[in-house]
Amino acid sequence: MAIDWTTFILEVINFLVLVWILQNFLYRPVLETLARRRAGIERTLAEAREVENRAGALRTQFENRLADWEQEKATRQARFEQELTAERSRQMQALAHALAQERERSAAQDAHRQEALRLDLESQALEQARRFATALLARLASPELEARLVEAGLEDFAALPADLLNGITTAARMPGARVLVASAFPLTEEQRERIGATLAARLGVSPDLDFRIDAQLGAGLRLALGSWQLNFSLADELAQFAAATHHAD
Amino acid sequence: MDTVPVLFQVGPFGITATVATTWGILLALGLICGLLTRHLSTENPGFPQTLAEGVVQTIEAAIAAVLPEETQRILPFVGSLWLFVATANLTGLVPGLHSPTGDLSATAALAFLVFLSVHWFGICSAGLKAYLRHYLAPNPVLLPFHLLGELSRTLALAIRLFGNIMSLEMAALLVLLVAGLLAPVPVLMLHVIEALVQAYIFGMLALIYIAGGMQSREESNSRPKGKTR
Repeated sequence: MAIDWTTFILEVINFLVLVWILQNFLYRPVLETLARRRAGIERTLAEAREVENRAGALRTQFENRLADWEQEKATRQARFEQELTAERSRQMQALAHALAQERERSAAQDAHRQEALRLDLESQALEQARRFATALLARLASPELEARLVEAGLEDFAALPADLLNGITTAARMPGARVLVASAFPLTEEQRERIGATLAARLGVSPDLDFRIDAQLGAGLRLALGSWQLNFSLADELAQFAAATHHAD
Repeated sequence: MDTVPVLFQVGPFGITATVATTWGILLALGLICGLLTRHLSTENPGFPQTLAEGVVQTIEAAIAAVLPEETQRILPFVGSLWLFVATANLTGLVPGLHSPTGDLSATAALAFLVFLSVHWFGICSAGLKAYLRHYLAPNPVLLPFHLLGELSRTLALAIRLFGNIMSLEMAALLVLLVAGLLAPVPVLMLHVIEALVQAYIFGMLALIYIAGGMQSREESNSRPKGKTR
């Protein structure tokens, strides 16, 4: 139990030496290594955080860009739909206009065709009427009818306008002028005298009369003097009717 | 128990087995630490480096649990106490060797160093006046008791370690003499545990004493000025 002071002092020195040894060969190197490792880990963590932050920034940027893209896409799509709608409307208007024009053109063609058809039918009807009238009058043609037509013709001649009568009078006073009187049936002497008397009374001269029979006239008279011709027959009346009808067309 | 024999004389100084064994422990720890820390790597630490880092970090964590702000300052002293006392305690298991901590001179030297370190770290931390002032707290009448406590705890520190290790060695010797070869094995295992526990207790008590000395700074700072006179 006694304390050996030499041992005591040497143990104190020994322990201090041990502290120095451990401080220089254990604690300091290991702690420095741990500090370097912690620094490395901190640096790595800092780099990782920086990378994470950068990644976050990139992600945010990407999301913003994606949102911009989506917005741009929506805008362009809306604009495209508007343009499509406008183009569709414009095309529909153009189509409607073309259809209206086509419809008008078709209506005009139909109207023209119907008018032509109507005229054709009318012409055919008139032709048929002329033929019917011609056939009917040909059956009704007789000396009595011709006598009545002669009377009517002389009445019409008596009622000729003055300017027309002047031209005929001039032709009648030409030297050698002769009046060709054509009839479908032979005229009676009385009828011939009345014709001569009527002409003389209206023309002021008594022209020579040449009487001829022309069955094509149907009934009635045809007076020809130079370039003048006065028609009082059924055939001439029907011809004038047909000419007037064609002229009306 | 007989006094530790003197192995040889160096002038007027007799070198005992305790001192010789301590030299051996110093040499062994120095070589082991040199080998462990010869090629330290921050990227690929091997098993020796991992072992060394584990030991240092364990000591650092134990100190940080008591004094987190002064860990780096007192780690060399307290860590060396733990390593030396543990190694010295276990040295007795080697046949033919004497455990240095079974010698009261060695444990007294360690306790003396702890005694000095408490005041050293306390003065370094709080300053001389503030450190000495904490002996007068809470009342100057308690100064003798403070001084008595300082001496008694240092003495207890030395005698506790010496008594435990000396008794362990003696018990192992008695069991070996009485029961033959195999019976002392459990006692030797108990010796290992007791050696490590005593090392831990010694170092932890030293750490607590040092922490108590350093906390005198906080006491002096938190005390009202009117009462510090």
